[in-house]
Amino acid sequence: MLHAGQIWLVAAIEQHSPVATLMRTHWAWPIAESLHFLGLCLLVGAIGSFDLRLLGVARRVPIAAVHRLIPWGILGFAINASTGLLFLLTEPDQYIYNPSFHFKVLALGIAGANAGLFYLSSFRQVFGPAAELDAPRRAKVIALVSLCAWMTVIVCGRMLTFYRPGPCVDQAGVLLTCDPK
Amino acid sequence: MSIDPFLVWLESTALSEWVVGSPSMLAFPGILALHAIGMGLAAGLAAVLDLRILGVARGVPLVEFRRFQPVLWGGFWLNAVSGVLLLVGYPTKALTNPVFYLKLLLIAVAMVLFVRIDRLIRSGDATAPATARSLRRLAITSLVCWSGAITAGRLLAYTYHRLRA
Repeated sequence: MLHAGQIWLVAAIEQHSPVATLMRTHWAWPIAESLHFLGLCLLVGAIGSFDLRLLGVARRVPIAAVHRLIPWGILGFAINASTGLLFLLTEPDQYIYNPSFHFKVLALGIAGANAGLFYLSSFRQVFGPAAELDAPRRAKVIALVSLCAWMTVIVCGRMLTFYRPGPCVDQAGVLLTCDPK
Repeated sequence: MSIDPFLVWLESTALSEWVVGSPSMLAFPGILALHAIGMGLAAGLAAVLDLRILGVARGVPLVEFRRFQPVLWGGFWLNAVSGVLLLVGYPTKALTNPVFYLKLLLIAVAMVLFVRIDRLIRSGDATAPATARSLRRLAITSLVCWSGAITAGRLLAYTYHRLRA
């Protein structure tokens, strides 16, 4: 069933993609890639600094002050979500059938859920009037998971070209990791 | 004088052949992945320091940002090493492309700017008007250099003339 879903998604994007023509012009793809790398740096710099602060680096600085960097991390994420979507909408088969992409999406999901968990579980302790300089242990675990998840996102993203899907021969498994066409 | 004999020799070394030819995911793909992580750490933390100088997260004393510097240097050295390995793998591809020298130059300038920024911060009064002005100028130049270095690095895949000697 998931296989059929993947095949349908690739076909749907290929038929209706609004950006494929633009992205196949001479410099569009390299420019989008460069922006994707700049967004990566912004995201890692801002979110990584905040995670490190939660883990105890620069522990004299109030956590809330370092949190002011987070909007810049979100900007980096927005740049990368947009440029990433451009790639996906141009060459859907190169991503939808790519095992490295599957793990990248999984790691992104973990990073997102983990960030949500931080605000749900630790907001008052970290930002409230009685906030202490040392983050609660739970927040430190979340920070470590965040760092690992984002590193995994980067590694899987960089690995995409080495796991390009070939033609299907004998495909088992939950998700298709080969091109059925 | 041509550097071709040097390139031919370098491409025939065991290290170069391993980087390029090994089927292991730890060889070329792994080195590229480390290079991307080092970039995120070095350029990312440098950019955050620049943003702080330009007024973001004012509640963080500038001098406290020095605590993150070991990670920035870690990223830098990770990329120096992984970059040399990538260069040993494809020396002709890089060394015959002017964009590669532009990338190196931009990184060198960015790191010099970073050291100068750090020296100004350590010197004490970063809030004195003259120092604050210099810091802002250095921070803007640094952001331009890092953006240029990253863009140049990405474009290496599209601008080379010769892949192998």
